[in-house]
Formats: sequence, structure tokens, C-alpha cells
Amino acid sequence: MSVKYFQYTLVLFSSLLLIAGCKDDKYETPQPKGILQNDVIKRSLGPNLVGQNIEFVYAMALPADKGKLVSATVEASIAGAPTTFLEHRSFYTNSGGIDVPVTIGAPSVNNGNSTVVTFSKDTMAAALRYFYVAPEAARGKSVKFTFTAKSSNGETATYSMGPYNISKVDMKLDLKPVDGAACYISIEDLAVYTAAEAAAKANVIDLVYLYRTTPVNFNHSIIAPGTTTPAYLQGITLPAGVNRKSKILKVWALRDQQLARAQFGVFIDDIDFQKLDLADATDFAVNLKAEAGIWVETADGKYRAYVYMNSVTNGTKTATISIKRYAMQ
Amino acid sequence: MKKYISITVVMMLMAFAWVSCSKDKPVDEDGLLITNRAECFVSNFELVGSDFQTVRTKNPVIDTVACTINVEVFYGTDLKNLWPQFFLATDAKLDPKITGKVDFSDLANPKQYAVVSGNRQVRKTYKIFITVQQ
Repeated sequence: MSVKYFQYTLVLFSSLLLIAGCKDDKYETPQPKGILQNDVIKRSLGPNLVGQNIEFVYAMALPADKGKLVSATVEASIAGAPTTFLEHRSFYTNSGGIDVPVTIGAPSVNNGNSTVVTFSKDTMAAALRYFYVAPEAARGKSVKFTFTAKSSNGETATYSMGPYNISKVDMKLDLKPVDGAACYISIEDLAVYTAAEAAAKANVIDLVYLYRTTPVNFNHSIIAPGTTTPAYLQGITLPAGVNRKSKILKVWALRDQQLARAQFGVFIDDIDFQKLDLADATDFAVNLKAEAGIWVETADGKYRAYVYMNSVTNGTKTATISIKRYAMQ
Repeated sequence: MKKYISITVVMMLMAFAWVSCSKDKPVDEDGLLITNRAECFVSNFELVGSDFQTVRTKNPVIDTVACTINVEVFYGTDLKNLWPQFFLATDAKLDPKITGKVDFSDLANPKQYAVVSGNRQVRKTYKIFITVQQ
């Protein structure tokens, strides 16, 4: 085998590569289909909670010479809560960055599983927002959506979305425990109670909120009423029967977006509660700061929760807390 | 041409044989390199809580002669869920290894960790004394 043959082969290969590499893919302008078309995007992120919105944008259009839009319908596999609606306004963003609405029909009507908007404006394109408010009936189930647009020439376009799981998690935002007053927190009721109320509901009180400047570094703390270290209850006299020993694990920088309502792209979902290991957890969390949190398991193991500290105020001895709760049984 | 190819092949084979015959550097049972260093000490010590924030109120006091580490932790520290972090002399390693949270709640019986030097010949056992801020 001489070097000559190698050279010929190499030259041949190079030429072939050159030809293949230089081949120009010609761009072709997409041709409109000339029919009614539609598309959907899901706007909301994170776990889909009962009572909260799942938000979509439904876009539909057809060529102007083919007719106009007549109606838009969204059918959910599980009927949404009564507050579910499809926008009857199409939005555009003006030069100031503000979304300006253009009314295209009457407000939507919920009929069973369907939400319908009937167009009254002579328009051939619209993008409507759809807010599905997850009902109690959908908890722990999955839901699918069928979006349908109709035009005056009798055409129909449909688009399916989902299935989406509806979380079993409950959420309560902005509870305001006050030291020495409404300081008894119930995970079961997702509420804060005063001492008098707590005495009447002793079996559902899981946590006590305290604020103390002494001892040093105690500050804003959440303690289980049945703690094995009563010293952490700092001079508080518990109402009769309030003695549940919840498990508590202190966390820092777990800023769930739905609880914090801030830009952090972190969401606590069902699986986080299921996989949570609280075997070594204690029964107190001392010196909690804003943006800190605690994992909690109620004494009877019925609920697990994440309590997020939205803010703390030393002067008024108060905190703002938000809770996500998951029923274990 | 054939001659050159065969010479190249033989040379490459010799090179491979040379490389494969060179002695591996010694490693211990953990796959860590055993070196000539005899230094054996803790240079710094950290304790973090379940929220991965430090629980120390001030710098630890490390006595490399008495082999003790004294740490004061904040009032209300959950002593059952602490994660110790040792800063060791170069090439040294810790025994037992820290694989997760450690329970330091038994203050009467301080935890002990041995530091083993790079040459694995020197072994010093440190005791960790924790006091809770009052």
C-alpha cells in the first residue's frame, strides 16, 4: 500500500466533506394554513393547590377573510370552583409596559365542567387567560383541560392540556401570632389562638410562639407545648390540656415561592412532606429569623407542615407566618 | 515502509509496558494517598445545626497538645442534630468518618475523633467539649 493511495483517498474524502458541508439549507417561509388555529401555554408554576389558580393563556386566530371568532370554551375533567373564569378581555402591552385590556365579549359563564366566553367583538384573533380554581373535589387527583375555539365559518379548533396533579397540600398565608396573646398555633386548624381559645381547643394546639430578649439569642421562637425542655417555654403558663409534643426541625433559606411570595423558584410539594425524615427532630426552634422556617409533624402524626417566617417584629413581639400542611393519613 | 511500521509498533509496546510496570503510589483502605507527612492536628473546627448555620457563639478553642476542642454553642441549640466539620493538617484524615448528623447531647461524655497523619503513623484523639450559652 503506497502513500499515493492514502493521498488519493484523503483528497476524495476531503472533497466529499467540503461538498456536504457547503450545502446550503434553504429557508422557506412557513405558509399559513388558512384555517382556525389555537395554542395554549400554562403560566402558573409550582404545585397546584386547592383554592389556588392554575393559569393558562389560550390563543386562537383565523385569517380575516375566513370569518371571525364566535366562542371560546374550556372544559375541565373536574369542574373548577365557582370562581373559575375565562377572561372576556384580550390584553396587549402598551409602550409603558402596562397590559391594556380589550373587551371581546361578555364575562365567561361556568356551566358544569365548561367555562364559555361568547365573543361580541368582530375579531379574528384573541389570547384569553384562563384561571382554573382547583376545587376541594380535585384534591389529590389529576385534572385535564380541553380548550376549544369556534369561528363563524363553522370551524372548530381544540387543544388538550394536562393532566395536572392537584396537590394534597393545604396552605394558609400570613397568620400573625402575638407573644402573650394569640400565640398558640394549630396546624390542624391552620390558625392561631389566644390562651382562652386554646384552652377550649387543647387537642389541636401544636406550637407556641414566644418572643423574649433574655436569655440571649432566644428572640422569636416556636416551641412544642409538650417539649421535653420546659425551660424553653420561658415563664409561660400553658392553658389546661395544651401539651402536644410536636416534632420540629429548624430550616434556613427554604423560601417556598407560594409562602414567601418572592422571586425564589422553590416550591414545597407533596413529595417533600412524604420523604421528610423527622426521626431525629427536636421539639423546639429557638431564635427564628425572617425567611427561616420549621418542619413540623403533629404529635399524632396526622399532619406534616412547613411553617415559614415571612417577617418578625421585635417591637410588637409579633411574627407573620405562612403554613403549608400535608395530611399524612 | 514495513520496517518503519514494525519499529514504531515495537517502540509503542515498550512504552506501554514501561508505563504499566511503574509502581502505583500507596493508598489506604479509603483510597486516600499515603504520604510522608507526619503532621497530625486539627486547625479549625465548625459545628452547624439542622439549618446548616453555625451554632458557635465564638471561635473554638483547640488545644493540639491536650487534644481538646472547646466550643460554646448558642442557647437553644438542638444538640442532637449537629454536623461537625474538622479542618485537618495536610493529608491527615479523621476516624471515625463523619457521614451525617451527630448527636452531641450527652455533654457528660464528650465525643472523640482521631486524627491520623498523612503517613498513617501518628494518631491523635481529640475530645470535643461543648458548653451551651446561658
